Amino acid sequence: MSAPVFITAASISAELHQAMMEARGLALTAKNARALAVRAGSRTVGFRAITDFIEELASAIIQQSQAINNDAEHLSNQAVSAWRSDMANERFHWVRAQNSTHADSISGRILACEQRSGSLNQELQHGLRRLIDQLEESRKHIRTANLIATSSHVEASSAGDFRGQLEVIADNIRETAERIGGHLNRANALLSQNHRERKAAC
Amino acid sequence: MLATVLYEQDDHRWIMFGRDANKPDGIIDTNQYLIQSGNQAILLDPGGIELFAPMLSAVLKYVPAEQITHLFASHQDPDIISSLGLWDQALPKAELYSPWLWESFIRHFGMESIRFRAIPDEGMTIQVGHTQLQFIPAHYLHSSGNFHVWDAKAGILMSGDVGAAMEPTDAPLWVDNMERHAPKMKKFHQRWMPSNDAKLDWIRRVRQLNVKVMAPQHGRLFKQPQVGEFLDWFETLPVGIAIK
Ligand SMILES: [Fe+2]
Ligand SMILES: [Fe+2]
Repeated sequence: MSAPVFITAASISAELHQAMMEARGLALTAKNARALAVRAGSRTVGFRAITDFIEELASAIIQQSQAINNDAEHLSNQAVSAWRSDMANERFHWVRAQNSTHADSISGRILACEQRSGSLNQELQHGLRRLIDQLEESRKHIRTANLIATSSHVEASSAGDFRGQLEVIADNIRETAERIGGHLNRANALLSQNHRERKAAC
Repeated sequence: MLATVLYEQDDHRWIMFGRDANKPDGIIDTNQYLIQSGNQAILLDPGGIELFAPMLSAVLKYVPAEQITHLFASHQDPDIISSLGLWDQALPKAELYSPWLWESFIRHFGMESIRFRAIPDEGMTIQVGHTQLQFIPAHYLHSSGNFHVWDAKAGILMSGDVGAAMEPTDAPLWVDNMERHAPKMKKFHQRWMPSNDAKLDWIRRVRQLNVKVMAPQHGRLFKQPQVGEFLDWFETLPVGIAIK
């Protein structure tokens, strides 16, 4: 059995928060790289162009992480409502089965609960689908970051005295991208497992 | 869940629910009360979330869901009202009467549809069916915002945690001997009730009522002469002394 959606969504939210913190670090790395490239002068024109690109990328990752985070939080709330509704419904069914004199007087509530559960669960399905798409989008950014890290290395090799420092920066970009990618992968794994199992249950 | 009719006069009834032999271990046993009048009913201190299903089932033996128009929570404790989130889905049109002091706390139990009716500190009177019910201040007994329910016509005072005793679920329903019963209440009242002043003020006011039955939220109920004996006992019992 998978974890309840509200736990999955909260865990995704936590992963995305980590990714966002890493992306902030990436933005800082880009700023340092730009300062260094300016000092290094004409030999690092290529590197300077790359730093602009990294900064944009970092801010795109931050924005997207925040959006996914918000969505996941909203989903977690919805899931709690759905769970409450299911919990009430389960008890209503038990009560009706006891055949008390007026047991049928809760039939209307059972119907209302089931309708509510149905529409909440449908919303959850859509929300989970949307999260999967958003995560896929974010992973494209990580692939770009890796490409940038590679070209940074190439540019660094022609930067003379600054070569060592620029190479450290290029490695830094690659490592940060890897860590962000790790968070996204974990979020995705949580999500697709839950999504699959919910689909099978419906 | 055991149900006992405490009072019946035409279409005006008091029913007590409790002594639930099937309740999960480790949960304090509670008495819940239903007052019916005409085609309306009020549930007093409906209980904890673990008791919701057996309570609803027991209540539906007496009254259809749509006639449970009122709920009352004497204070904010979980054994009183942690079932609220489920009643909210069972009785979306009901109104919950509870001390104004606890509104923002009680809402943590989940309340989307039920309407909160704040009882002011001085108490209030409401009409359920054709019966008038009075919410009588019982602040600091034990909760700092707390009410008891007085039904003058039936002569029944629902006294919340006052008069409570912790006993096995197969204990008799009525106190028959105050001397033997008092030790079972002593520690609870001394530890839970924080204020001797509040206690004396409450006793003074209750003595002015013609209480035939005093119905606490835990343990046995009191008839006369035990009601009077309880008031005398409580009067001399020093409370709020746990730090000594
Ligand atoms: Fe209490
Ligand atoms: Fe209590």
